[in-house]
Amino acid sequence: MRTVLIACGNCWRGDDGAAHRVLDLLGPDSGAQLRSVQQFLPELADEIAQADVVVFLDAAIDCDALSLEAVREPEAPPALTHVSTPSEIVALSRALYGFQGRAFQCQIPAADLATGEGLSPYAEGFAGEAAQILLDLLGHPAGKTVQQAPAPEAPGTA
Amino acid sequence: MSRTVLIQPVTRIEGHAKISIQLDDAGQVESARFHVTEFRGFEKLCEGRPFQEMPGLMSRVCGICPVSHVLASSKAGDMLLGVEIPPAAEQQRRLLNYAQILQSHALSFFHLSSPDLLLGMDAPPAQRNIFGLLQHDADFLRRGIRLRQFGQRVIELVGGKKIHPGWSGPGGVQRRFTSAQRDEILGWIPEAAESVALALERGKRVLDSFRPEIEFLGNFPSLFLGTVNERGGLEYYDGSIRIVDGRGNSIAEKLDPKRYATYLGEASEDFSFVKFPYYQPFGYPQGHYRVGPLARLNVAAFAGTPRADRELREFKQRGAGAVCESFHYHLARLIEMLHCVERIEELMANPDLFGETIQAHASLNRREGVGSCEAPRGTLFHHYWVDPDGLMTRANLLIATAQNNRAMNLAVDQAARRFLKPSAAGGEFEEGMLNRLEAAIRCYDPCLSCSTHALGQMPVVVEVFAANGDLVRRIARLPDSQNV
Repeated sequence: MRTVLIACGNCWRGDDGAAHRVLDLLGPDSGAQLRSVQQFLPELADEIAQADVVVFLDAAIDCDALSLEAVREPEAPPALTHVSTPSEIVALSRALYGFQGRAFQCQIPAADLATGEGLSPYAEGFAGEAAQILLDLLGHPAGKTVQQAPAPEAPGTA
Repeated sequence: MSRTVLIQPVTRIEGHAKISIQLDDAGQVESARFHVTEFRGFEKLCEGRPFQEMPGLMSRVCGICPVSHVLASSKAGDMLLGVEIPPAAEQQRRLLNYAQILQSHALSFFHLSSPDLLLGMDAPPAQRNIFGLLQHDADFLRRGIRLRQFGQRVIELVGGKKIHPGWSGPGGVQRRFTSAQRDEILGWIPEAAESVALALERGKRVLDSFRPEIEFLGNFPSLFLGTVNERGGLEYYDGSIRIVDGRGNSIAEKLDPKRYATYLGEASEDFSFVKFPYYQPFGYPQGHYRVGPLARLNVAAFAGTPRADRELREFKQRGAGAVCESFHYHLARLIEMLHCVERIEELMANPDLFGETIQAHASLNRREGVGSCEAPRGTLFHHYWVDPDGLMTRANLLIATAQNNRAMNLAVDQAARRFLKPSAAGGEFEEGMLNRLEAAIRCYDPCLSCSTHALGQMPVVVEVFAANGDLVRRIARLPDSQNV
């Protein structure tokens, strides 16, 4: 099974880099093709075309639980701008390159998007959780496990 | 009763903006404006930071043209150090700038503007997008995606990653260029050259069928400003500034980009967060000018590569001294893509690119530095001031999209007067009318993230206001919006 994990975010905006942290935790021997991007862009449609499974990872400021959900197809033809969404990329890849795999979107709760490097403990915990879930999805190649961070606390409760 | 029409936000551009159209009592367009409604103040973020950090920090201004910001910032840093960088570093920077312009123009032409150009301005919005285009010509789209991939791949190969590469900084670059990188890049060239040539031929055919749009979507005389090399040819990385008027007459030659503040001013208007730069000797607004692909081809005497030179000679026949129609930004972009592919291929045979010395080392030698280059959308200036410890005390960024601000306003105004008909006075606006107003803006491929340094994308909402300010109609044009 060919799996592509695509992390999106800006590592210089605190927790916005959470998705990249997940790929760091998985490491190069995860068994998946790992891609780090600043934005979801149209050419990813080509890059995922041959994948069986693709997971788009991104930080989310408006959720308080890790989520891994199937990417929903756009309800209407999207108007692409300079930036695309996972939904648009998957639709484009299916239409243009015959992508037949499954696509998921993993949202990693974020608390602090201020300028600066490194994740908050809150996002770090969820990044570890996401990495473990993805390792499970990949079938634990070489028995790998992620060192789980302490259970995340909601911002402001620490 | 007079009223105001708002197209808010404008689609298929980068950033937040709206178009408002003021109608008079007879339902005729009285005026139209392009408003930029976002503000971030990126210059403020850098104060107190070491100037060496600026290329990395400033590249975050934009996810589409980060290389341009890295280059302008690096050059400002070069000036602060007081160094001349090694030839290998300069050639690497040139290479990435060509790749940057290629991928950005490919996005603009194939993804953002082709739905208008190939499906028509009056095509239903549900079809006038990249998926509608896919039904029309999937191979064309694939070529566009591959061209972007090529540009992005060059940036990733040399810069380390596609977006926000941090390989360049004050004094040079961080890594040597290798023969393996050359071989991979050369492997892409035949396909890229073929795709650009096909797009150019098709673009020329298609564009010529848009006579009303060519004539009325921003066709006006203005000054044009761009960088040229020492022989007056097309130049993107380093050179002097040349300004011509709408007839191609030389207005200024060999201006030093480092002294931009002595000849360029910035005016403000109360309806936009983006400033309105102008050529100081002419004052504002008479000194407003355009930058970007159309301006570069107007100021350049030649391209310097065989195929682009042929196209440039043909392009110049479209104008009387200068090509003033904003719609021809599309064609200018295609010619520049061709030129960039040719230049990238040329560079692969340039021994300077493989030089071992890639950094000039020095400590801080100046307190003020200016860096400029040609970004995809036009001339870009970064101006830094530092304290004796090299910490930033002030920065000024003069961005291409901002320099086209007044031109975009004029283009919208002209398009509105021509395409919004009095019959629409009852509030019923045909989709094609509204789309033409946006298309006038898209000619400039504005990057508002750059010009205001904010991020965003948008659906379209058209709002109609009565003379007393009451909202009388709101037209939403994307699925996640609602008509009210």
